[in-house]
Amino acid sequence: MTEENTENDIPPSTRKLDIDGEAEIHIDGLDLWYGTKQALYDVSLPIAKNCVTSLIGPSGCGKSTLLRTINRMNDLIPICRYEGEIVQGETEITAKDADLVSIRKNIGMVFQRPNPFPKSIYDNVAYGVKLHHKPSREQLDSIVEKSLKRAAIWSEVSDRLHDLGTSLSGGQQQRLCIARSIAIEPDVILMDEPCSALDPIATAAIEELILELKKDFTVVIVTHSMSQAARVSDYTGFMYLGRMVEFNKTEKIFSDPDQELTKRYITGRFG
Amino acid sequence: MKEIDKLPVRNRKGREFIEKVGSGGLALTSIIGLVFLLILVYQIAKPTIIDGEEGEIVAATEFLPISDYILKWDNPSVDEDGNLISEPIILQLAWDDENGSYEHEIEITVIPQRNVKENIQLNENGVDTNEVTVGKKTKFYIYSTLSTPVSVHQISGPTPAANETGYPQVNTFVIQSDVSTVFSNGISIEEAIAVMSWSFLMVMILVYVFPNEKIIQSISSTSKNHQIIRWLSLAPFLFFILNEITVIRFFIVLNCFIGLRMLANLSEGIFRLSNQMMPLNDKILLKHSIVNRDGLMLWARLFFLVSTFFIPLSVHIPFLTERYQDIFQPYSSGIRSAFYGTFWVMGIAMFMAIPISIGAAIYLEEYAKPTRLTKLIQALITNLAGVPSIVFGLFGLAIFVREGGFGLGFGPSIFAAGLTMGVMAMPIIVLAAQEALRSVPRSIRESAYGIGCTRWQVTKDHVLPSAMPGMMTGTILAMSRIVGEAAPLLVVGAFGAVLFDPEPFAALTDGNINFTVIPIQIYAWTAEPGHEWHAMAAAASIALIAVMISMNSIAIILREYYRRRLNS
Repeated sequence: MTEENTENDIPPSTRKLDIDGEAEIHIDGLDLWYGTKQALYDVSLPIAKNCVTSLIGPSGCGKSTLLRTINRMNDLIPICRYEGEIVQGETEITAKDADLVSIRKNIGMVFQRPNPFPKSIYDNVAYGVKLHHKPSREQLDSIVEKSLKRAAIWSEVSDRLHDLGTSLSGGQQQRLCIARSIAIEPDVILMDEPCSALDPIATAAIEELILELKKDFTVVIVTHSMSQAARVSDYTGFMYLGRMVEFNKTEKIFSDPDQELTKRYITGRFG
Repeated sequence: MKEIDKLPVRNRKGREFIEKVGSGGLALTSIIGLVFLLILVYQIAKPTIIDGEEGEIVAATEFLPISDYILKWDNPSVDEDGNLISEPIILQLAWDDENGSYEHEIEITVIPQRNVKENIQLNENGVDTNEVTVGKKTKFYIYSTLSTPVSVHQISGPTPAANETGYPQVNTFVIQSDVSTVFSNGISIEEAIAVMSWSFLMVMILVYVFPNEKIIQSISSTSKNHQIIRWLSLAPFLFFILNEITVIRFFIVLNCFIGLRMLANLSEGIFRLSNQMMPLNDKILLKHSIVNRDGLMLWARLFFLVSTFFIPLSVHIPFLTERYQDIFQPYSSGIRSAFYGTFWVMGIAMFMAIPISIGAAIYLEEYAKPTRLTKLIQALITNLAGVPSIVFGLFGLAIFVREGGFGLGFGPSIFAAGLTMGVMAMPIIVLAAQEALRSVPRSIRESAYGIGCTRWQVTKDHVLPSAMPGMMTGTILAMSRIVGEAAPLLVVGAFGAVLFDPEPFAALTDGNINFTVIPIQIYAWTAEPGHEWHAMAAAASIALIAVMISMNSIAIILREYYRRRLNS
């Protein structure tokens, strides 16, 4: 009985989705199922250009699923299917015949656990560039250097570019993964709990980096840490059981949320 | 305009083409594998079609070829009751030695019963018997321990019936007497085998018993100890200052030397590891892959391999370099044609099995959607890995040896045997490769897809290199399983006695297709009368183990190498 009550208590996905300025990506009425289990209910979300949008919510609420739908990573899961529309500029990402390669080139991703390729640091960054372009040796060198500098890791690895990427520390590996993503200059970078496997110092470095990246890229970040969301993001979406309960500017969400549920979650009185 | 867009763009068309060709090729390999598997299942369900006639299964060849050293009554002229039509066969033997010339007449009576066999001994006292009874369709042997050649002056008897090819069924034969129980360097093959067994035992003791944790810990506590042991390992050779060098002593001392060297390497490895001295350099990875326990086993195996191959070489060179001579010359016969046969059978088997199996595994793991059909194929493959090898032999007989039906008609040749063995190895390799692919972490795939790789690029650049150690190991283990298989090849038609080097592609060029492999050679030699042949069989079995162990060693080297390249 109680469970049913909570189900009914969940507010439907919000349609109050105002942002200042231009949106890079529009998500419109997205429903998603894993097999027979529905994971997202009618989720809509604009992602503001050159801003950081954070998604918060308890575990299993569908934030990572939503994030992975934006660059179609969920296609790797055979039982996953979805309805709804995601549009980036003039490209319909959710189209059946969409070009996954160029979608993933335009929308980079950084994962929860640092996952550099078991190649050298240089090759980790250069691989993506070589995948899509035919750069000369000098061009490639300069792209690698620039990407590593933008990911704020150049000073630590410049003297050992040909060591294995997996030999770095966790925080360095994560920044290497970010460098790998930005080397191919995507429009959007999706970050799936990028700091959850890192210590506080590495986390601080990554957060600083995100604020820096905002100038050139649109960033979407999924996080469990509300303080992190408050620190880095401009817009915040609160999700609960597959619904986008509330979406607004970050200051608004953390100071005066509209929904009672959001208030309870961010003050830690949840359940 | 982003800066990166100023770079020339890689042509997507070629990439898409490769993607299509790649997945198409992989699907094709799976289909080829599937066709084989389905035919095999059909064969298991309906084995009677093998010879074209219901209910009759005929082996591909008789086991021993008709040759000029065996007196063989395949078809003596007998009447309806089985009595001989004419007189018994008279065999006149003659030889010379320092005491003079000898001549002997032996009367050979052929009776209708099978399995009656009396052999003739020739020695210094002459011939042990003047009358021999031999069953129809049996062989009998004439042994000689004389130091001079014996010749046959005359064979007289019933006129043999000719077979279809026009050759008489009773063959003339020559008896030679180069049979000597002692080699020129004074060591018999029994002694050689004793040395092999000794070195095997010593290596096992050194590897499994001696390096216990406490000893190793105390040795590797300082950097000097392993150097001391390295010098100390030369000490066993001092033994020869006081004692005469013999082959057995030499190899026992060599064993002690290598054992101490292994201990020194192990302690150096532990010392370097515990002091963070292990360098990160590809070139010396191989060298350092031998300083852990796996590496130690490798040393032991390599050493065992070397001693196994070189002891017969130092004791009895013909064992490795000569072919099977004839039934009376065990000590000038060797495993050469069997070794070539094994080499070619394995080569053809792997050439066929590895691409198909790895392709099928990649397709099933990376491309195929989990439909009912793929589940069925998966179940088929899993079950096939456990099918008894003789069943694969029957499959090979029907598909590769015989003509008609599904048969490709390669005859009892190396080519057919290699393909049969390849089919046998396929399910094992597929399972091992699938396991290796499955163990590649998801994060590697995700990170590759995340920057816009196509499926084929993910597989080729990221999944395959990570899965390589596992695939290598699985493949080589499959090889070492099939290298020792005799049962399927008996059905496919390997000979026991091959007097020439085999031709691998004789089936395609109408050459001489007969061949043998080491397991079959062992089987044939154990079936020969005479303890010399049994000793040869024992030596050949050690050579077979050596081949297997060398394959496993290669697997360990490759696995260690790839693992270190990925993880260090």
